[in-house]
Amino acid sequence: MTHGADNPLEHPEVQLANGRSYLLVYLFSCALLGAATWLVTRQAMTPIGLFLLTTALAGVVVVAQGVFLLHMEFSETQRWHTVSLVLFIPLFILTIGLSAWMFHGLYRRTMLMPEMPAPAAAAPAAAGMPSMPAMPGMQR
Amino acid sequence: MSASASEIIDPAKVHLWDRGHHGHDVIGTRTFGFWLYMLSDAMIYAALFASYGVLSHVMNMAGGPMPGDVIRPGYAFGETLALFTSVLAYGYAMAALRQGRAGGVAGGLLGAMIFGAVFLGLVGKDIGDLFAQGITPERSGYLSIFFTLVIYHALHIVVGLLWMLVMLVQLVREGFTGNVVYRLVNLKLFWHFQAVVWVFVFVFVYLQGVIA
Repeated sequence: MTHGADNPLEHPEVQLANGRSYLLVYLFSCALLGAATWLVTRQAMTPIGLFLLTTALAGVVVVAQGVFLLHMEFSETQRWHTVSLVLFIPLFILTIGLSAWMFHGLYRRTMLMPEMPAPAAAAPAAAGMPSMPAMPGMQR
Repeated sequence: MSASASEIIDPAKVHLWDRGHHGHDVIGTRTFGFWLYMLSDAMIYAALFASYGVLSHVMNMAGGPMPGDVIRPGYAFGETLALFTSVLAYGYAMAALRQGRAGGVAGGLLGAMIFGAVFLGLVGKDIGDLFAQGITPERSGYLSIFFTLVIYHALHIVVGLLWMLVMLVQLVREGFTGNVVYRLVNLKLFWHFQAVVWVFVFVFVYLQGVIA
């Protein structure tokens, strides 16, 4: 991040701007997200297939925008921006992933799902499980 | 700093740090500081996406509208085009800044503001239509986080548009001073980051909401 130029327009971060790469990533992003929208509205695949494909397309678009819009690279100017982003990504994924995983388990163990049979019908399946004592206000 | 252990040092003449200016990179330091702030803002988005992952469970629809009743993927793609076009216009403003063309910078800023306002208008109409149908945040946990995510992102766009307006005024009044240039670079980071965040919102909330 060292720089000694007096003219602010000669600063390396100003000189990173490139209209052609901005246009390319714009067209690329619109095309990929347009394709994802078309596939979803047409229900062109199975739900799990659509889920995986749209996730992959989002990943490609985010990486392309990170490189060409945010200039995530390892030049002297951008090195620490990139390092901080790389260190940030695990925090981002862990925050979302661990919350989703934790609540998924919580729901499965504590919630009566709408599509599940009524508690009386489900009781034989849970015969081997220890019963919970009735608590004030608890719904059976 | 290189004094040996046997050297006698007069405490009154010791300088523990240097207050002088040695070509410190003000623009680079401020830009990096703002980038770290943007990453902390992204952690708020992470918390919101985590909440969305939790509250988009069928239990949290609470018998109310399902994602398929709320989301129109084609309309949301129109919002995407408007935002990406705004980001492209700001990119051209930065390309003009590189060449020192004040007119090009102002034109790019104006273009970014126009398409940013179009994006806001589309989001506002979408939310207004849902409210008119009685689909409001308090109906269910899912709707609460859906509206929170969309409106939180829209608030960033409002801030960005106001910031662009301020930069237009500063550009006219001050020209390409160091302060104006670093603020334009920071605003570029802010604006382009909104496009990246929108990819997450569009794909994980809109598209995958319909799939679910």
